Amino acid sequence: MVMARPPPDPLFTLRGSAAPVNTLQFHCSTAGRPLLYSGSEKGCVHVWNLNNRRAERVLEGHDGASVIWVSTVDSTDAFLSQGRDMRVCVWDLHEGRSAVTHSLRTGSVGFCQCSLLEAETNKTLLALPAEHTEEIKVMELASQTPVRSLIPDSKQGMLMCMKMFQAESGPLLCAGYEDGSVVLWDVSHGRPLSCLKAHPEPVMCLDFDTDRQKGISGSSDKTLTSWIIDSQQNLQMQNSVLLTNPGVSQLCIRADGKIVAAAGWDGNVRVFGWKRLKPLAVLQHHKDLVHSVAFSNHPEASQRLMAAGSKDQRISVWSIYSES
Amino acid sequence: MDRCSGAEVEVRQAVAPCLRIVSSSRDSAEVTEALRTIIHYLEGGNASASEKAEFNRANYTRVLQVLVSSLSSDWFHSLPAQERRELWDGFFLRGPPDQALLVLLDTISSTSDGSGLDWTVSVLESFLSAGRVGMLLWSRCLETNGRPDSVQLRETILTRLSSLPDLTANRLRTNTPARLLPQQYYTDLARDVLNTLENTCRALRAGQDCSLGFVAQLLGKVCMQGHGELVCRTLAPRLSSLTRSDALWRRVSCKLLENVPDRWVESVITALIHHLHGASALSRVMGNLVLKNKKVQFVLTHKVLLLQYQHPTQLLRTVLGYLALDHDRRPLLKQVLRSVCQVWSNSSAVRHTSLDQQLYVSKALLLCVNLLNQTEIQELREELLQCMLGGVQCRLDSSTEHVRRMGMVVGECLSQKLDTPTSQLQFQVIFRKDFVFLIRMLSSYFPSDRPQPESSGQSAEGQSMMSQPPAASQTSAKPAGHSSDSELDSDDELTPYDMSADQVKQKATPPRYVRDCLEALMSSDDPERVELSLQTAEELLRKNVSTAREVSVQFSKVLLHLEDRYSTAGFHTLRQSAMVALAVIHTQPVVEYLTTEFYSLNYSLRQRLDILEVLALAAQELSEPITEKKAVSQPVARAVTLEQCGEVEHWRQVVEKRIQSKTRRISKGASQPPKAAPNRYAPVAAYFFFPLLRNYDRPQVTFDLLGSDHLVLGQLVHTLGLLMHLAVNAPVATQMGKALLDFVWAIRFHADQMVRRGVLFAVCAVFLSMPGENLLLELSDDLVETRAWLADVAESDPDADCRSLAVQSLVLLEKNLKTHLQSPSMET
Repeated sequence: MVMARPPPDPLFTLRGSAAPVNTLQFHCSTAGRPLLYSGSEKGCVHVWNLNNRRAERVLEGHDGASVIWVSTVDSTDAFLSQGRDMRVCVWDLHEGRSAVTHSLRTGSVGFCQCSLLEAETNKTLLALPAEHTEEIKVMELASQTPVRSLIPDSKQGMLMCMKMFQAESGPLLCAGYEDGSVVLWDVSHGRPLSCLKAHPEPVMCLDFDTDRQKGISGSSDKTLTSWIIDSQQNLQMQNSVLLTNPGVSQLCIRADGKIVAAAGWDGNVRVFGWKRLKPLAVLQHHKDLVHSVAFSNHPEASQRLMAAGSKDQRISVWSIYSES
Repeated sequence: MDRCSGAEVEVRQAVAPCLRIVSSSRDSAEVTEALRTIIHYLEGGNASASEKAEFNRANYTRVLQVLVSSLSSDWFHSLPAQERRELWDGFFLRGPPDQALLVLLDTISSTSDGSGLDWTVSVLESFLSAGRVGMLLWSRCLETNGRPDSVQLRETILTRLSSLPDLTANRLRTNTPARLLPQQYYTDLARDVLNTLENTCRALRAGQDCSLGFVAQLLGKVCMQGHGELVCRTLAPRLSSLTRSDALWRRVSCKLLENVPDRWVESVITALIHHLHGASALSRVMGNLVLKNKKVQFVLTHKVLLLQYQHPTQLLRTVLGYLALDHDRRPLLKQVLRSVCQVWSNSSAVRHTSLDQQLYVSKALLLCVNLLNQTEIQELREELLQCMLGGVQCRLDSSTEHVRRMGMVVGECLSQKLDTPTSQLQFQVIFRKDFVFLIRMLSSYFPSDRPQPESSGQSAEGQSMMSQPPAASQTSAKPAGHSSDSELDSDDELTPYDMSADQVKQKATPPRYVRDCLEALMSSDDPERVELSLQTAEELLRKNVSTAREVSVQFSKVLLHLEDRYSTAGFHTLRQSAMVALAVIHTQPVVEYLTTEFYSLNYSLRQRLDILEVLALAAQELSEPITEKKAVSQPVARAVTLEQCGEVEHWRQVVEKRIQSKTRRISKGASQPPKAAPNRYAPVAAYFFFPLLRNYDRPQVTFDLLGSDHLVLGQLVHTLGLLMHLAVNAPVATQMGKALLDFVWAIRFHADQMVRRGVLFAVCAVFLSMPGENLLLELSDDLVETRAWLADVAESDPDADCRSLAVQSLVLLEKNLKTHLQSPSMET
């Protein structure tokens, strides 16, 4: 019996955000230097250069309100950041600029992150949490015109997290609610397709893999649950795995569909095989809650890193299962 | 008439000279000749029927007596065995069996030891083995109205037959042959009775009248004498199988039981029921006897059910099933149910009857209810409800856990029968295994009833399964469309890293200082911190004795008022052990605090009980020598509350004793004598003891010790007993014993058995711990009364524990007395 390998150490750690890190986003697809965006609790967005491992720029656009979500828009080269000042800022970062072109008001006081969908048809959709705690607004990003408002009929409580994706029939959206249920929405018709009571506690995070039509959700308890969308577009429970310590703040499936990472409230990042949720690694580095975990979209597979942002103000960057 | 008297004269003239020869002649040939003449008159002889009848009537007994008197004659001894058997034995085996039996038994009881006695016994044996008893019974059956027997003779034969083993054993003692011992004799007798009944059936079929009077009387008398068990073991199964197919047998067996005299019928019936399996067998054998005979009715509907309780459940089933089987008997079943209900719901019965009896009545009640059909239940619904509510309530009031549980189980079972499924009585208790059989009472009779509740239970379970949140390993629900088979086996390529470091994270750290611990317990709202503090409290206190002393009373106060807000695992044990630690470390102030709080206002019963338990455990710990490695859990387990210590400890003790007795200790020389250490409890025993006795008779708004709060009173007396027991050899023991005896004397007739148990325990403790001379001095006035009281309790208390404790106290008292009476005589 061969002894299992000891878990790897982080490749490097990014210090200097000076505030708990709430959210992360890689930007490595285009030529040039690989970047990592991070949003902090103090309202700053740091842009890290992964070559020299230093913060290249600091964007401040939310008046000190906590930034809970950042995203790049590939089609327009724009950059989005969502803050708890109830605004989503659209940035222009071209050629060294760092200016907010405009901002969208969400009216949401919750912690739900936005979800961006860039379909092939040049139409970029953004799903936002809205003023009513259970409502989702979907708007076209370019024209800023609202497309749909999705409000569940039954009482499912506050909207906790969501993920929008493109299906054959049109854009769909998975949303997790306070009562532990996951609802599949048909965005173009604005109606719920299916509902699954995935957790006894609120759904804290979810991610969806469009290739396998399979998603995963985490909660404030000890279980991770995976579910699939069947041919009748119903959500079905598939698999679940038990964690040692309760609470997951973010889940991220790697683009190649091999592994999924979970940011745990106990400060550990857990890695599972995506196919059967087989536990693969427990990465212990952070001293406080891990808020966010992200995989890089680098064109070269061996360069695809994983980053984890924690409440202890650090971002750890890992290279895990990237050999093949 | 003439002919008859003619025969009489003729026979007498023929027999008389022969008899004279037998009794007086010395010539053995002559005697043999004379006997051969008389033989003609016996069965199988060639005399005419009327002559034989005359011989049997008037001369047979005389002939036998003459023969017996010749037992010691030369003629008898000179007879070869073959001829002796023919000429001597034949007379006994070929004449009327009743006369022969009487003569034989008389001879045995009047002859002294010798060959004559041996011979007579062997003749009696062959008499029995030749089936002469069967002949006797059958001859009595045939005498329907022929010869009006003299009552005296009949009575004598009955007595002799029924107690033959006793009569012979009185004479023969240990030399009694096996055939004459009760085991064999009564089994044979039962077989003879069966044969007689069979003959009767045959005769009845042939149109001949028979009388079963004698057989019935014999059966009654034998059962009355306590041999019913032996007889019915043979009789009952045979009767059961014979009556199954034959209606005539059924009539005969009913007739037989009807003919048993009233004064004996009870023993016959009970013996019979014990050996008949199933209600239908009883019904076949007994018919509707219960309706015809008042005595039987009383036995079956009252005595067996309500007055006795030693019978097995099978018997209850048989009796109640028998009542339910026939339409005519069903009113009796209802009547039985009413009376059983009355007893079950009687609060006085709950208090004053033993647990076994209550269990027995509960079984009877449930069986009864189960036998009723739906219309009857509706008819009796009001009464049953009344019974259920009353009975359950007075059982729930009881301080014995067993009784409470019994009330709940029976209540649930009754409600299940009475009410609609929606409005059933339900208690949220996990029933112990010992009551499962009660629940089974309801289900075993009508197997057709069972599938319904079972299936509904299953579906309910299924629903609850559906509504449950997803469990950890739900791998079964795999969809067809996206099955994993179509995917690449990507998981298997990835080898997992070592994940042993993944452990449950604890947010808070346990407190390291006594004051921190106290702070957390007092004011923290963090469940984890409170739990950790509670867990470490005992260890911290014992480690930091000096700090603990500074805050001991405050800490005790906090612990006493601590509530289980976060449902901490093992909350009560942790809190208790911490409190015990405090009382041990800083005994005087803490104990003073606890004992004053015991009688003060606004405490719950639970808190008061906690105080008592802590005091008892602390005293126990103090009285034990300090050992290096303290087994913390050991004393806690030993002095638990009265309720828990019942059966659990019991078997453990038994096992330990057995192990002790089987273990051989080899290391003799190596064992060191235990080191002497001062008893820490003796100097402080008074602080524990006397304050608890101070205010018991002063009722308060929230606490009335001598009134309704007898649960605490029982525990208090028990604790006082324990404190007394631990104070053995302490100087203060005499005063303590005095005070305790005074206290318990006032409450020794308390209605609650827990209190009485406590009282007896305390008395035991006093007898054990108080120095002998002081005890007798103290008791001198009440000695006689105390003994009378203890003897009375030992005999008639409904509670088994009370009885055994009383016996124990009596033994201790006697021992004390004996040593005391002996020691002065040795001095003088």
